Amino acid sequence: MDPSAVISLLLVGLARAMILFIVSAGLTFVLGVLRVPNVAHGSLYMIGAFVAFTIATAFGQSSAGFWFALILAPLVVAAVALIIERGLLSHLYQREHLMLILFTFGLMLILNDLVKLIWGAEYRSVTPPEILDGAVTLFGFNIPRYSLFLLFVGPLVAVGLWFLSNKTRLGKIARAASVDREMVGVLGINVSWVFAAAFVIGCALAGLGGALVAPTTSISLGMDLTIIIESFLIVIIGGLGNTWGALIGSILFGVSQSLGLLFFPQFAIAFPYAVVVIVLLLRPRGLLRSAW
Amino acid sequence: MSRKIFVLFTLLALTAALLACTGAPPTSAPPTSAPATSAPQATTAPPATTASAARPIKVGIVDTYSGPPAAFGNDALNGFKLALSEINKDGVLGSNIEFVTRDDKYQPDTALSMAKELILEEKVDVLVGTVNSAAALAISSFAKEQKVPYIVWIAKSEAITGAKGHRYVFSTSENSAMAGKAGAEALAQKPYTKYWIAGEDYEYGHAIANAAWDNLKALKPDVTKAGETWWKTGEPDLTPYLTAIMAAKPDAIIFATGGAGMTNVLKTAKAMGLSDQIPIWIHTAIDTSVLKPLGANAPEGVMGTMDYLFYYPETPENKAFVKAYQDAYSAPPGFPAFHAYNTAHFIAEAFKKAGALDKEKFIDAMEGLKIDSPTGEIEMRACDHQVVEPLFMGVTKKNPQFEFMTASDLVSVAGKDVMPSCEEVLKKRSQ
Repeated sequence: MDPSAVISLLLVGLARAMILFIVSAGLTFVLGVLRVPNVAHGSLYMIGAFVAFTIATAFGQSSAGFWFALILAPLVVAAVALIIERGLLSHLYQREHLMLILFTFGLMLILNDLVKLIWGAEYRSVTPPEILDGAVTLFGFNIPRYSLFLLFVGPLVAVGLWFLSNKTRLGKIARAASVDREMVGVLGINVSWVFAAAFVIGCALAGLGGALVAPTTSISLGMDLTIIIESFLIVIIGGLGNTWGALIGSILFGVSQSLGLLFFPQFAIAFPYAVVVIVLLLRPRGLLRSAW
Repeated sequence: MSRKIFVLFTLLALTAALLACTGAPPTSAPPTSAPATSAPQATTAPPATTASAARPIKVGIVDTYSGPPAAFGNDALNGFKLALSEINKDGVLGSNIEFVTRDDKYQPDTALSMAKELILEEKVDVLVGTVNSAAALAISSFAKEQKVPYIVWIAKSEAITGAKGHRYVFSTSENSAMAGKAGAEALAQKPYTKYWIAGEDYEYGHAIANAAWDNLKALKPDVTKAGETWWKTGEPDLTPYLTAIMAAKPDAIIFATGGAGMTNVLKTAKAMGLSDQIPIWIHTAIDTSVLKPLGANAPEGVMGTMDYLFYYPETPENKAFVKAYQDAYSAPPGFPAFHAYNTAHFIAEAFKKAGALDKEKFIDAMEGLKIDSPTGEIEMRACDHQVVEPLFMGVTKKNPQFEFMTASDLVSVAGKDVMPSCEEVLKKRSQ
């Protein structure tokens, strides 16, 4: 086997893993702090992609349009998340998990129909900015510049999340609240707003993932389904609520898919799922410590 | 407690994965499960010149109006409505054509239950639709049982009028056998010998890949297949797949994909510079619905085939059709609109020829029927009920007239030249 082929597939697999990480980090963050399995997370990712399309189009699909979209789309999704949390979810925290799953599932259906109403059923596309357009040749292989950009953004988000949850007051309260929310409340902290902030941050990550994926794929209805399945699997193999688990899970998923393609192209579809099954057989509670 | 939750999660993920494996996004649920759209009733009663039918002809449409393929379903519905507005001016058999629609959500089982409802409850005279080939095949076998004519207008699997064809099913869409042969003939003239086949893992993907490869092998025996890659429908990032294919260094690639997946392939091929290094053929790569959303982001020089392009052929008939459609829906018609427009005219002409609102007489009248379509005269082949229509081949290229790429160097291929013979089709049916 050509070693440069292995390296280039490793790189594009890692780039894919970065998108998966950003989305599933948001999912796992909400799971860890709020204990809410947000099935509508994928829909927020889709909304992020569609909003990115609208913003990029408003700027004539120029390079500036992409950068604005990358900043504004997560903010729009955050605003949607804030409305959802304050208007609906905040009244439901005391319910059973099954009820919460049903609620977010219903939310997913509603959001999807909203996307269809607003943007229609056609495929949309975002032009990558000029500086990230095209490919560079590394070890004799063409790697899209955009993949290299993702390899840069992913670790940035990971460090940002680590900083947020370990070095800031909000992060520390959120972590404490996830362990014992009554105790934190007794200490005189408004837990309700901590939860709102955590939910908004988690959903904004979905929006960021959507905006980041926009230039690499066709933006269409149904793009939420693939991502929600993959990110739930990643969250499960990583350990529920564990951000670093999400990172490891994403890398495992993305890289096993791309390297699987090189060695077993005929099993390409099943390969990452087989890895998930093996991980769950060996470590049924996930790779890293679960927050639950 | 937490153990229970783990079981719950795993179950949830597995269910979701299963849903994904059926290849359908059951994502959007319209407020009513069956949104019925009725044709506008004619305000003035048409002249009752023929005594044979006083009631309107009722057409049942099962098509996809949710999820990504809704773009095709809506386009077809518009084309059908446009044709009816022309047909109902003079009426058919002393009345007019009405229709009801049902959303199959791209699911074969939903399609089947919608078809059942339309046949048994709504008592439609003719059934038409849909996008998903597997759904079309499911409806087809039920239509055969119920002896109701069914006209497929978007799905392209050759099995519909080929191996699984019968008296009650028709296709007004070009099929994978025709497209595959047209593509194979174009590729056979090129110097490439080492091919890679890749595509989406579903009925249409495999059908088009097999048709192209079998024909290419027959036309040029020295071609070899270096390998195959299949990904699931809706796979968002194809970069790893295409990197692995590039690593194998084939002379040319046949991609077997459609819809949103097609947009993804073209986008990724452009981003990776794949299309500059390795020649690509994809059926429908030159389709406007594929190239329009990509804008300048599409790769140039990709070979494609298509049975309808709104800018070609530049005949008065096509221009008139495009203008009428554009005036009504403020966008140029896509291939589904073209198919549905033709289907409506086939239905009207066949009932006129049959002279009665009778299903068996309608089928007899459809066989060998010729109508004038926007791209010229087309025929419903009597032996297998497959439409005979020209295909157009070209390569993607920037066009200063539009904001998106169009096909250049277009050549037209006669439908009869790329269709399997009646003997071949009937042999497949008897197997």
